[in-house]
Amino acid sequence: MKKYLGFKVVLLMAFVFLIGVTPSWAEVFSQCPGDINGDGISDDPNIVCIHLAAGDGFVTMADGYPLYMFGFSDVTGTPDDLVMGSTMFKAEFPAPTITVKEGQKLYLSLSNVGMPNRPDLSDPHTIHWHGFPQASTFFDGEPMASFGVNMGFSLTYFYNVAEPGTYMYHCHVEATEHMQMGMLANLYVTPKQDGTPKTYNGKTYTKFAYNDTDGSTGYDVAYPIQIHAFDPEFHDASRNVAPLNFAGIFDSYGMLNGRGYPDTVNTGFILNENGYPAQKMNSLITANVGQKILLRISNLSFDYYALTVLGIPMKVVGKDAKLLRGPTGIDLSYITNSIELGGGETADVILDTTGLATGAYFLYTTNLNHLSNNTQERGGMMTEIHLN
Amino acid sequence: MKKNWIKFGLLLVTVTALLFMASMPSRAAIQGLTGPNFSLTAKQDMISTADGGSILIWGFANGTGRAQYPAPTLIVNQGDNVTIDLTNQLPAPVSMVFPGQAAVTATLTSGTWADGSLTKDLNPGAVVRYTFTAQQPGTYTYHSGTNPDLQIEMGLVGALIVRPSGFNPASPTAYGHADSAYNREFLFVLSEMDPRIHEAIEFGDPYDTTTWWPVYWFINGRTGPDTMSMPNVSWLPTQPYNIMPRFHPGEKVLLRIVGGGRDPHPYHTHGNHVRVIARDGRLLQSAPGAGADLSRMEFTVTSLPGGTIDAIFEWTGKGMGWDIYGTDTDFEHLCNAKSVADAQALRLINPTDPYFTTQDSTTKELCGDHGKPFPVTPPGQLAFTFGPFYSGSPYLGAGGSLPPGEGGLNPNAGFVFMWHSHNENEIVNNNVFPGGMLTMVIVEPPGVEIME
Repeated sequence: MKKYLGFKVVLLMAFVFLIGVTPSWAEVFSQCPGDINGDGISDDPNIVCIHLAAGDGFVTMADGYPLYMFGFSDVTGTPDDLVMGSTMFKAEFPAPTITVKEGQKLYLSLSNVGMPNRPDLSDPHTIHWHGFPQASTFFDGEPMASFGVNMGFSLTYFYNVAEPGTYMYHCHVEATEHMQMGMLANLYVTPKQDGTPKTYNGKTYTKFAYNDTDGSTGYDVAYPIQIHAFDPEFHDASRNVAPLNFAGIFDSYGMLNGRGYPDTVNTGFILNENGYPAQKMNSLITANVGQKILLRISNLSFDYYALTVLGIPMKVVGKDAKLLRGPTGIDLSYITNSIELGGGETADVILDTTGLATGAYFLYTTNLNHLSNNTQERGGMMTEIHLN
Repeated sequence: MKKNWIKFGLLLVTVTALLFMASMPSRAAIQGLTGPNFSLTAKQDMISTADGGSILIWGFANGTGRAQYPAPTLIVNQGDNVTIDLTNQLPAPVSMVFPGQAAVTATLTSGTWADGSLTKDLNPGAVVRYTFTAQQPGTYTYHSGTNPDLQIEMGLVGALIVRPSGFNPASPTAYGHADSAYNREFLFVLSEMDPRIHEAIEFGDPYDTTTWWPVYWFINGRTGPDTMSMPNVSWLPTQPYNIMPRFHPGEKVLLRIVGGGRDPHPYHTHGNHVRVIARDGRLLQSAPGAGADLSRMEFTVTSLPGGTIDAIFEWTGKGMGWDIYGTDTDFEHLCNAKSVADAQALRLINPTDPYFTTQDSTTKELCGDHGKPFPVTPPGQLAFTFGPFYSGSPYLGAGGSLPPGEGGLNPNAGFVFMWHSHNENEIVNNNVFPGGMLTMVIVEPPGVEIME
């Protein structure tokens, strides 16, 4: 009898969350010191405010297979008392990209809006800015060292953004599970040098990957490329409230920026089974011949993956959000045809398209078995570079 | 929002910082055997995994002791003539190889041996003497050269550390050059196991190392969270080494990372980047004597199988944007002789005063953030599911109230960071999360004495 009543209570709680009524003991509370007019968006150019909601949702793989997932959605500007009700099943994969400038202060509010597809779960969530230099435990988002944010509550993370480069962010609660389920995203910081013209090898740039002082990391267009892969059996087990097989994780949907080829080059919407476009990023790269393309490559998957670009030399200028330059100024950048990253690594790669023919080039993994969407060939971890 | 910080000890910390920091010696923290002569035995035993599992291993034991995993860390000096007498008490042939060491000779002392793929394989019961001169300082590995796909998996792998000529424990370096100077050093032998292979050996069944699928991951022979228990705990008799670095702000921490298995591992240090200064026992230098001028900073270091890395980690909280010791004037701390109120007043008058570019030489606090208030309003305690290492407060050295039973593993209110493999399936013990290749490190407030 008692068990049945308990189940009813859980149902009631789920219902309450679903209709958007926030119980008095829960509190969605975003903070933005730079917000003067109360719309939740900073009016101070030195302050960036973002409000992310952590919850669950659905995605569609490139072979059409639907998967359940966990993720973040962007609720910046949504009034706090409407956040819980408005974000149901709106988690995105990858989560929204965060871009900030060196010297800004980032107030990143995280609200845990619960996972209505799993009313049996009460998982907390966190945000871990992966690689943030000189971090504090309180804002690091690693729950064993600090805490996780419970359902219905918020925490505002603060970052004094001091170092430019390519980073990532992800949930660190039950990291194996939450990251496999998709709670991860691109994050990068543009350098103070941006806007100051620098000439390198005869060309002038105003956008740079780092404060290189000599223009060597100058670029014309930039694209983040995030490597990740899903194990469909793990996601299906999660959807079906079945035990999760951590020991047997086997990723077979390799993706860039949340989609497998050819969805990586689809500039339209990819709809999930609810008709919502949860996978908002494509990876189609376009540039004019002669331009320099900056690829901000990151890997938050569970394995090493190597990427190559056929026909365009790759110059690696940064690794793990640091300029490849020795402490006494020696240039450590190098030209290559492939770059391999394990989970948790990032790299900045510049493609110089000077003197190349127009047309389509391919960026793809040389772990060739991952050029597939599970059992569907000609898919997976690949995208195209269109030179005009 | 109720401000509920109970600040115990911060005043004590400030006072004792002045007392202790002046006399705090640098300490080595790597357990092992000091050479140059060693007597090791290859034998069979069992290890424990943190999910309650028990695995048969083959390991190198010190003399007549029990086998251990990983093998004993051998510590010698540059220039030493190293001798290792190895006795084989395994039911199979065994040997030792020393990647990175030149001119290793093997002399049979008793018993018989036969040609193997990498070296002479010692038959059961035989004794061999290996000798070499440790010509170059650095972090190295040694392991069985016999049937290595099986025997390294079974546990016959360990670390070898060569101290540079002129090594001074009061002012240690890894390679002699100041770029490799450190205050504390820690060894990370990274490895993994597929228990089916060990079960096959245990029961005399055929084993297959081509279908290898690891489900246990280790640092220094222990799965998380056993990594954080004390060294030499009685309930892990064959896994004597631990890994739980504790250090102070501003100290240089040397990570000696050894790839002891057959998989690469991306090792991620929360809290800050490390500077990778050496690989495979060689400083990353453009010319001899130049120092580590080819070093690079990484927040995730790839450990290659059989390879080694030396990297230096340092944390000060620079650029935090708020005072990491808190601004409550009930509980004062000084940064270069200025109080919180002094710094706040100066910041109002002249925010670009050179004072704000200084660093306190005792506590290593960056005075630029001295007196800056905490930037957000934290939620109430109901908002959080607490971790066992949470101190109850965001501040270094100041605990806060926690619900009964919460926290407790961080009594000095240090800043705690997880250092772990970022191939996240590797922080699991055979389906039990968390575990595997993870540990926590604690940045202890200045003045907290760290016993080693």
